[in-house]
Amino acid sequence: MDALIEKLKGQIIEQLNLAEVKPEEINPDSPLFGEGLGLDSIDALELIVLLEKHYGIKIQDPKDGKTIFQSLRTMAEYIKSQGKS
Amino acid sequence: MTKAYINGTGCISPQNSIDSEWFFDTIHPAKGDYFDAIEPSYKEFIAPNLLRRMGRAIKMGVAAGNIAIQQADAKKVDAIITGTGLGCFEDSERFLLALLNNEEQFLTPTSFIQSTHNTVGSQIALLMKCHDYNFTYVHRGFSFESAIQDALMLFEEGKETILVGGIEEHTPNFVILNRRARKFQEVSSTTPIWESTTPGIQMSEGTACFILNKTKTDKSLASVDGIQTLYKPKTSADILNKLHSFLKLHNLTLADIDVTLMGFSGDVNFDSKLQELLPSIEKESIAACYKNVCGEYHTASAFAMWTATKIIEKQKLPQVLAISDKTPSKIKHVLIFNQYLGINYSFTLLSQC
Repeated sequence: MDALIEKLKGQIIEQLNLAEVKPEEINPDSPLFGEGLGLDSIDALELIVLLEKHYGIKIQDPKDGKTIFQSLRTMAEYIKSQGKS
Repeated sequence: MTKAYINGTGCISPQNSIDSEWFFDTIHPAKGDYFDAIEPSYKEFIAPNLLRRMGRAIKMGVAAGNIAIQQADAKKVDAIITGTGLGCFEDSERFLLALLNNEEQFLTPTSFIQSTHNTVGSQIALLMKCHDYNFTYVHRGFSFESAIQDALMLFEEGKETILVGGIEEHTPNFVILNRRARKFQEVSSTTPIWESTTPGIQMSEGTACFILNKTKTDKSLASVDGIQTLYKPKTSADILNKLHSFLKLHNLTLADIDVTLMGFSGDVNFDSKLQELLPSIEKESIAACYKNVCGEYHTASAFAMWTATKIIEKQKLPQVLAISDKTPSKIKHVLIFNQYLGINYSFTLLSQC
């Protein structure tokens, strides 16, 4: 799980162009939206594409996004649960 | 058409124009056959969470707009009008490359959203919370001129303060493709730009924004008295006739123009009519150029307007721009006589106020 979280940190930094953020500064349990990284709705779309592009996961029900993208850890757990890590 | 007063300017160009004290004292040469803009630290103007999504054109536009707003001390603007030939080229390229590389799948929204030509105007509007008129002109070599024309018409309709900008960026791919098409030439250290005998330009980029006011205030630096565009004029005589008519509209003759800033690009194919007209201009006015320091791009006339404003403000014609040997004793009227690719010609009249 830790290796997947580290990998996700790098992918998120690249995909969202968070040039100012270092991987070690991202707390895997902090909220991705609002507080924490302070992401917004456009970033949510970027994260959906990231999951599809890198892990072949398509989120069928948009309502699931709220739970999946709560934090880095929930994202990693979801990827694991889909057997795609 | 009503005149407008320039109350604030912001300019990012291949020179140090971002520095309000700079007045053509140190000149950065082209990088061989093209110029790159000298960009500021954008963190001073744009929040980091917004900055990460912006391409260079947007960053340059927002920063230059910000500087102009600060200089004019404008609390609000009634309209935002931008002109750009190529728009947000970097993001357009990024979006199209992703489309190709990912076989039209996994397309992300950011570069698409940021790739539209009106992104600069809309970003400035978002930051200023301006929900009023917002328009972007994409009229090739008339893009900036169209923005100015629109602003002057809006003043007639009662608008008081308008932000107008000319924005252009290039990318490494853009430079490579134009170089392959042999549209560039190396800068010659011996031949002045107005005497070029060879084809090719020094492609460039930059942004100049202006806060225009309908009424004169203590912040007013110069006035924009009028603007006229000419599309594909047949002969240089046609251009000269139109120029005389344009000046007559403002009760002026060429002899009243203290400095004429001419848009020589260094490409003999595009500059031929200007070369033919230079003796007539020099006979009655003092001729100068500007593309030897800013290069050529669709909205280089915005840099020319920034230059004309500075010349009027400082009451001095920088030596690096001078074509004529004469020195103006006073500078009341400056005419910008631009051309782009020998297709788009324009006259813009600025005056001391």
